[in-house]
Amino acid sequence: MHIMEGFLPWQWCIVWWLIALPCLAFGVWQLKKVMEKDREALPLLGVTGGFIFILSSLKLPSVTGSCSHPTGTGLSAICFGPWITSVICAIVLLFQSLFLAHGGLSVLGANIVSMGIVGPLVGYTIYRLLKDTSVNIYLTVFLATALADMFTYVTTSLELALAYPAQVGGFGTSFVMFMAIFAVTQVPLAIVEGIVLALVFKYIVALKPDILIRMKVFSEKQINAARGEA
Amino acid sequence: MAQKYLLELLAVVAVLVFCGLFLYTSSTMEGAEFAGSDNVGSGLIAQLSGKSVESFTPLIPQYEPPSGEIESCLFALQAALGGIFVGGVFGFWLGQARREIVTENL
Repeated sequence: MHIMEGFLPWQWCIVWWLIALPCLAFGVWQLKKVMEKDREALPLLGVTGGFIFILSSLKLPSVTGSCSHPTGTGLSAICFGPWITSVICAIVLLFQSLFLAHGGLSVLGANIVSMGIVGPLVGYTIYRLLKDTSVNIYLTVFLATALADMFTYVTTSLELALAYPAQVGGFGTSFVMFMAIFAVTQVPLAIVEGIVLALVFKYIVALKPDILIRMKVFSEKQINAARGEA
Repeated sequence: MAQKYLLELLAVVAVLVFCGLFLYTSSTMEGAEFAGSDNVGSGLIAQLSGKSVESFTPLIPQYEPPSGEIESCLFALQAALGGIFVGGVFGFWLGQARREIVTENL
């Protein structure tokens, strides 16, 4: 999902930076509040953030004959919301732009918007919609994490299509072409990521149900039901 | 038993299917280079804008790892950092849970 340094016109770099910055500022403010209020939540932040570090460094082969990487942002979005997640993503993406030539400082805003904001926001929305329904909590986690991953790549396609509309067919044609590269490659990765993170969530539920209940990630009833099952 | 470990089973199956898909793709698809989709995307940008890939130069000068070795080293470092966080916290939680059981029994 990285847009490479130099591949986005500077006007668009500024647009995406302007969208990313207020979200990051809000995320930092929320993070400070969580740290002051609940020290017990920090290990959970370590786990969910840790998975963003791990998963976003794995380049996996896919059915289109090219490689891509999962994002791992869904779990953090479920537990801490999309804004804190965007701060963690910004750290990972900054590391990759500075040392790995994956992305770059000018396109960092655009990459933060796709991986750190839209993806987690979609995942968080799915989670909120399904949270208080009878849907199994692991299915909720699967859907939220898989779709957070997918929509990161849909957003990258959108950002590139906006900057590079095709001469014939304009934005729509470009969008379909970028989707064919980014989103199609991502489908199997997103499904595997969803299942793996649902499994990780099962272990968090088994070890630290009290934190999840106190942070109201899921209700006590749902957590206890899931523990009874597991 | 199967119910209890349903998610574990699903995860194993998903990973196996994923590996199978990769083996199938890499042995049947012609021209599958397994390059990064980021680079494939950059190629499409060049095609759409009618410029060559080389003509896109960084707007802000940036460090590039001199070789694939260095790049994989830095990626491994990133994954290792994440692994330390995840493993450390799960270990901490396991220890906490065990301590609670011990103090209950006192």
